[in-house]
Amino acid sequence: MRDPSQQYNERTRIASTLSPSLRRGIVAALLAAGGLIGSQSAFAQESGQQIFQKACAGCHSIGAGRLVGPDLAGVSDKRSEDWLIKFIRSSEALVKAGDKDAKALFEEFKMHMPDQSLSDDQIRRVLAHIKEKGTGATASKPEPAAAQAAAAAARPDPNQVQLGQDLFEGKVRMARGGPSCNACHDVRNDKVTSGGILAAELSLVFSRMGKQGLQSVIASAPFPAMQVAYNGKDLTEKEIAALVAFLQHVEKEHAQQLPRATGLRMFSAGVGGVIVLLGIFSLAGRRRKNRSVNQDIYDRQIRSE
Amino acid sequence: MDIRSQISMVFHLDKCIGCHTCSIACKNIWTDRKGAEYMWWNNVETKPGTGYPTKWEDQGIYKGGWEDVGGGISLKGAGKQKGLLNIFHNPNMPVIDDYYEPFTYKYLDLIESPASDDQPTARPISLITGQPIDIKMGPNWDDDWSGTPDYARNDPNFSGMSKAEQEAMFQLERMAFFYLPRICNHCLNPACVASCPSGALYKRGEDGVVLINQEVCRAWRMCVTACPYKKSYYNWHTGKSEKCILCFPRLEAGLAPACMHSCVGRIRYLGVILYDADRIQDVASASEKDLISKHMSILMDPFDPKVIASAKANGIADSTIHAAQVSPTYKFVKEWGLALPLHAEFRTLPMLFYVPPLLPVMASVKEVHNQEQAAKFGPIAKIWDDNWLYDTSTEELWGTIDKARFPLKYLANLLSAGDERAITDRLKKLMAVRIYRRWKTVGDIPEAKANEALNGAGYTAEMADDIYCLTSLAKFDDRFVIPAAHREHAIEMLEFTGDRRGTVGFGFKEDTMQRGL
Repeated sequence: MRDPSQQYNERTRIASTLSPSLRRGIVAALLAAGGLIGSQSAFAQESGQQIFQKACAGCHSIGAGRLVGPDLAGVSDKRSEDWLIKFIRSSEALVKAGDKDAKALFEEFKMHMPDQSLSDDQIRRVLAHIKEKGTGATASKPEPAAAQAAAAAARPDPNQVQLGQDLFEGKVRMARGGPSCNACHDVRNDKVTSGGILAAELSLVFSRMGKQGLQSVIASAPFPAMQVAYNGKDLTEKEIAALVAFLQHVEKEHAQQLPRATGLRMFSAGVGGVIVLLGIFSLAGRRRKNRSVNQDIYDRQIRSE
Repeated sequence: MDIRSQISMVFHLDKCIGCHTCSIACKNIWTDRKGAEYMWWNNVETKPGTGYPTKWEDQGIYKGGWEDVGGGISLKGAGKQKGLLNIFHNPNMPVIDDYYEPFTYKYLDLIESPASDDQPTARPISLITGQPIDIKMGPNWDDDWSGTPDYARNDPNFSGMSKAEQEAMFQLERMAFFYLPRICNHCLNPACVASCPSGALYKRGEDGVVLINQEVCRAWRMCVTACPYKKSYYNWHTGKSEKCILCFPRLEAGLAPACMHSCVGRIRYLGVILYDADRIQDVASASEKDLISKHMSILMDPFDPKVIASAKANGIADSTIHAAQVSPTYKFVKEWGLALPLHAEFRTLPMLFYVPPLLPVMASVKEVHNQEQAAKFGPIAKIWDDNWLYDTSTEELWGTIDKARFPLKYLANLLSAGDERAITDRLKKLMAVRIYRRWKTVGDIPEAKANEALNGAGYTAEMADDIYCLTSLAKFDDRFVIPAAHREHAIEMLEFTGDRRGTVGFGFKEDTMQRGL
């Protein structure tokens, strides 16, 4: 397997030369390819439980309530196995294909479940594990709204926030050598250096995933690219706590940040600026003697080659 | 009065045979170097013709020299504001094709080619790229080509002449040309010096030679465009501009400049002229019709006690004042009133003067009526149906000059800022000396007529003899009166020599030039 940072560099290099929409497409393809390289062999011989722990537990619980994604207890009763396999393979494709249930889920959770490169057999093993563990355990209610609001309202520790920002920007290294977050992610905050645009923008991720969800996502890195990048370089508890505090802080300050002019606007401003500058230059050179006095004579002369 | 000394030159165009020996002597000494191949500090042009670089006289193209801006003069294409505005993209810059792409031949091919059915040839190769090229132009490409549509008829000096007048010049039997050798004019009001943003150009205090300091030059090339004579060149290898230095190392050793020394026709004269620096601005901003007379009036009489006193007060050495008193150029320009500056209308006050050529002027076309004569011929005889005659007789003293086959307007545009009277005056004087000498040596002209000619030109017999001697018999030391250089005085103008007192040797070696020199 190739060094993840090298892979990342290659991706950004390619990505930076392309238009945004095309770039997104390529990034998706590369991420999928990265996922294939990284994950398929890893799960080949593992039991349903092991696969669940690695691939699913970051976002889903079985009977312990909603994390990032829904509680999976009793999922086999709600959906057909066929549908589940399709959904796990590529939820995005299913949403685009117009599946009603998938659409409803997407609207509820506001994000696609990352595509999992698991074989049918592996998925069945995972589903069996969920069924086995979920039997009896009733799907618990989501955390009371009041409790969640209280958690959100709690002001994060400024030291934690500072550490989280340094970790996010790469000013402080991850203890186990993982890459800094802004290599791929960006948050809208004036104090933070602009990050990458390869992965999701994280300004509002705190309210979308919740504190617990964020913690588990950062810890388990369920997304294919993150899996590759943080393979064997898991974040420590302290780092996770700092990053979550930072993200909470970012979301809180989100509304007060200046809007960023990037993307097409910046590109068109660049093109317009070049045209204006060229215009000025050509005006300045309009009376230039740009032709030899002898040119008419030269034009009539016979050339040997 | 602020008297200074200037080494000035006179070129006698009647004597120039267009052999280019001067150009070759200069090239071999000074510009036979990488980056300087296309430069001809001295070049010889055929007039009418477009010259080198092509159409250099057309300041509508190159924007050189000064222009009258009502009450004063300013540089046409450079100066403080225009220069700053154009400093990074000087719009009037001549390109290499305006000069010519320098070339040599692959001579080695003549020796090293393998045996074959054909003779080996030496292909021309560019001295800039080293690649084979088609030669498109040269520094004297229009040599002797009077009447050609591309060269002679594009001569900028035809301005103000009607189409008919121009065409009359190019009729086969009337066609004439002469040669115009050119070097830097070492002007009193040099546009190149005024244009330099780096202050690299200067006019030497002791002899008025205009030089470019190679260590200060920053390759802005403003002098290249500002010089109306296009005598400042950019060396693409060293990244510095260069120009004629009037062979000052030779002058300081008492030798004539290489071009003058080697001149086959002995057309060149060199000597000191004292001038009044206080009046330079006044003269340079004179109206066009006064330019010549004012230019002449700034050159001071070296025998005038007041002039001598002011010269001494300015630190001009006695030997230099004496050189000015016996200077051949002062005689030609001022005493005898024979020589004129080239293109005085550029207002740089050039200190190189030309004696206008008499020869192409002398013969004229006379109107005759051949019809009667032709009627007498039989039907098989060749009939001349044109009604003019190529007349070389000198029966009439001044008539031939006014009806010259070479229009005076053309010479006036070239040498007297359009003033035909100045040209007529010079030509009459030249003619008078000729008629006088013809009476003396051949004797087929009556003495009364010779004297009448001299009187008409305002010459005495002694003056005519002097002109004859200096024109035809002059020895080396008569033609070139070079004052002692007095470097010790010149150095004192720049630095205090007491600084060196008590020291020995030549000091420490300074850094040598880095870029190609």
